[in-house]
Amino acid sequence: MMSERSSIILEGAGLVRTRQRILWWIFAVNLILAAGPAMPLSHRIGDVTDHSLAANRLVDGFDLGMFSELLTAPNVNFGRAFPESAATILVFSVFMLFLTGGILASYENEYKLSARDFFASCGAFFWRSVRLLGCFLVVVAPVGYASQAALHWTGRLVNDAAGEKTGYAAGLGFALLALFLLMALRLWFDMAQIRSFVEDERAVRHSLARSFRLTFANFGPLFWLYFRITFVAWVALAMGLWLCTRLSGGAAVFVLEIVLLVWIGSRLWQRASAILWYQRRSLRAQPVAPVASPISEPPHLPPAPVPATE
Amino acid sequence: MIRRIRISGLVALLLFVPGAQLLAQDSAHSTAINSGKPLSERIVSYVIDARVNAQSKALDATETLTYRNLTGSSQDTFPFHLYLNAFQPKSTFMTEVRRDYSSFEWQKKYLASAEIKKLEVVGIGDLTSRVKFIAPDDGNADDRTVFQVKLPRSVAPGESVQFRISFHDQFGEVFARTGYKRDFIMGAQWFPKIGVWWQGAWNCHQFHSTTEFFADFGTFDVRLTVPQNEVVGASGIEVGSVANADGTKTLSFHGEDIHDFAWTIEPQYKVFSETYNGSMGPVSVRLLIQPGHVHQAARHMTILKQALDHFDRWYGPYPYKQITLVDPPHGALQAGGMEYPTLFTADTAWWMPRGVHLLESVIEHEFGHQYWYGMVATNEFEDAWLDEGINSYTECKILDDVLGHDNSATLMWGMHESDDAQQRNYYRDSADKDPMARPGWAYMNGGSYGDITYGKTATVLLTLEKIIGETTLQRALRTYFIRYRFTHPTKEDFLKTLEEVSGQNLRWYFDQAVYGTAVLDYEIAQARSDRLDWYQERPAPAKKASTLYRTTVVVHRKGDFIFPVDVLIKFDNGENIRERWDGRDRWVRYTYDKKAELVSAEIDPESEVRLDRNYFNNSYVVEEDRRASHKITHYYMVLIQFLAQLAAWLT
Repeated sequence: MMSERSSIILEGAGLVRTRQRILWWIFAVNLILAAGPAMPLSHRIGDVTDHSLAANRLVDGFDLGMFSELLTAPNVNFGRAFPESAATILVFSVFMLFLTGGILASYENEYKLSARDFFASCGAFFWRSVRLLGCFLVVVAPVGYASQAALHWTGRLVNDAAGEKTGYAAGLGFALLALFLLMALRLWFDMAQIRSFVEDERAVRHSLARSFRLTFANFGPLFWLYFRITFVAWVALAMGLWLCTRLSGGAAVFVLEIVLLVWIGSRLWQRASAILWYQRRSLRAQPVAPVASPISEPPHLPPAPVPATE
Repeated sequence: MIRRIRISGLVALLLFVPGAQLLAQDSAHSTAINSGKPLSERIVSYVIDARVNAQSKALDATETLTYRNLTGSSQDTFPFHLYLNAFQPKSTFMTEVRRDYSSFEWQKKYLASAEIKKLEVVGIGDLTSRVKFIAPDDGNADDRTVFQVKLPRSVAPGESVQFRISFHDQFGEVFARTGYKRDFIMGAQWFPKIGVWWQGAWNCHQFHSTTEFFADFGTFDVRLTVPQNEVVGASGIEVGSVANADGTKTLSFHGEDIHDFAWTIEPQYKVFSETYNGSMGPVSVRLLIQPGHVHQAARHMTILKQALDHFDRWYGPYPYKQITLVDPPHGALQAGGMEYPTLFTADTAWWMPRGVHLLESVIEHEFGHQYWYGMVATNEFEDAWLDEGINSYTECKILDDVLGHDNSATLMWGMHESDDAQQRNYYRDSADKDPMARPGWAYMNGGSYGDITYGKTATVLLTLEKIIGETTLQRALRTYFIRYRFTHPTKEDFLKTLEEVSGQNLRWYFDQAVYGTAVLDYEIAQARSDRLDWYQERPAPAKKASTLYRTTVVVHRKGDFIFPVDVLIKFDNGENIRERWDGRDRWVRYTYDKKAELVSAEIDPESEVRLDRNYFNNSYVVEEDRRASHKITHYYMVLIQFLAQLAAWLT
């Protein structure tokens, strides 16, 4: 069993690698969209810093005092970038929602999809993705409220508990619990998306109910699968931030972009691995065909199609 | 005079204070200062016997106050502070808190009170019925932080009067400076404290949300009876300890030439002691630290001893025999970062990173108040900048010296910040809101009070270094300290000392910086080189060192603050020209005809004019350098990318 799970996670990584065009496109869109609100901000900052000697203090190391001064410079007005940034975040989320069908199709099929087929899958699955997202938000909302309440409570514990670390420990405990719940819910809805896509199941509630039973009947192996991939993403983030403190501006940004690439990759890796798991589980669950006649010789099967690689 | 008062104080002890005989014997053999003679006029002598109920967070006490009438006139009315009453919903303090922070909600746990049970005047009798609450600042009839008592007969100049006051304190959960948190009690502003006769009148203000304190120097003999398991820290020095049969212990403390007395108890305190050898003698450095912060004890001790050493060398000796540093527990940080004579509180947490120098800056700052408040006892109500601001300036200087200028506030994860940059940014936030010379309660709000009294004053003094020089300013502060320690100097005393030591008339600066709200902001409005043959239809190709250019630099004074500035103009042949502009006009134009092009023009090239609100417009470099804008924009982009990915995770 253990080797099968390892095989799934490795094969999932392989799928992400062989379908790496998806990864690069998502990364490019993520980058380009973020450049939208960043460009006007860059101009506003540039108006203040590009001809100023004071800006050198932001180049050589990072002078928090000068950065505070820049933040409050009326010409820069960081606040003006926030609505555009929020719009960017929303657009990227919708973009990813749209891609869901295409991503699932790419990882489900053994052959490489054409762009046309990819986007056809995106379009065909989009409305189901939207409905699943709506359900997901309904399910996630209580976790969000509970987390907020827990945060408030642990905030009071930080001040009022007898032990100084009690509030922090409780906060960490709640954060881990919230992350666990969120990951479990994500797993359930990923399974719902996969089931809905693979089985072409249009009734979202039906998919959710079936996938709920499927997910929580196999929760251990599935969670362990997701957890390991998430762990890789967080380790990459930690290492990236650590490296950033030791690198100059350009190199630091390059490292951070690699971290972002790893994060996109890890999410795709989770999806690819989940599809592989689902496919294998479906194969195992298929009933054995009735024996029509005594077996004399194994039937001669045609070779399986070789998956296209990039 | 002083001897007579000490004798009369002892007489009071023997006659009126229960158990005072023992305390008097203790005190007679102990002095709390490294000096054979009194350092102040010792106008007041407090003898307080307090029994603390650690369970109910309350105390009952008897106070005998001997007051010497050195006012120069007969006095029959005496005002007292009763500041624990500030923590009541209709008090001026709470009203101002709510005014400045609309989200603030009153909670019953904050409720505190100080109640006068009995007030007698020796030789006159019981005057409890004559206790009358007054509100000299705002007329708030619900404010009970100041009371006065009118005697049936006057106290002649030079005479002493003795008050014997029985009072009951109920502490609230710590909200500001004083109160309790779990087992911890910070006993501050806990006893009826007489006002100060100052500038021909009684000065006894109500407790405001921003203001602090003002009192006369004298001696304090305080007996605290507390449960035996308590660790106690207090102003002065401990001169006696008796274990009582009822499970309590009585500790006696003696303080000299101080103007307030604070104490703290908590069973969990861990105590560390070291000795610092100052120029007036050894100083016992006592640290009361939370068990969870013991790993930071060395940090506490190191910075405190460094502060002692720097103040001793730069500004004057620390004359007391002890300094006590208190680390309040978590959840009681509102009691942290506060100064009392020979005792102050710090501010840290178990996770405080080494690179965040908050711990160091708070300890240095609060210790600095031993000088600017403790000994140079300015009026914190009316001239808060004199203690908080001068102290913030000396904080910058000492932290720069100890931690390095660029890192004196923060050095972590490739980021750094200096303490003076922090002060300057406080000032920038409120630069034109209030003048420094304004009573603390009259500021626009608490934010402006903090920004101006701390940040602007420090920045004004840092800028003053450019005018009179850093060493002259240090000498002036030393003169100010030596001349005015153990007195109540005014703002003009300070400003005149600066003028006297520097030998300069600085009124033009003080009028703008101290008494005004003018903002200082200079900019390079124009800086360019133009070919002199610009009018020719086909000018010869530009050739380095042979083509003639006319370089024009226009410096503009955007703000109303007039300040002379240097302007450094650099050319591409390596030539530098330094101009000095008095700043009186709104702008000045510099023109040069040279076989060289402009590289840069910079106002205040050494960044000495810290009051300049905007450093970015102080220079113009011809060649564009986009590294800073690219760097910040890229970081912002990464942040947006990351947030977008987190949001997309939901899909």
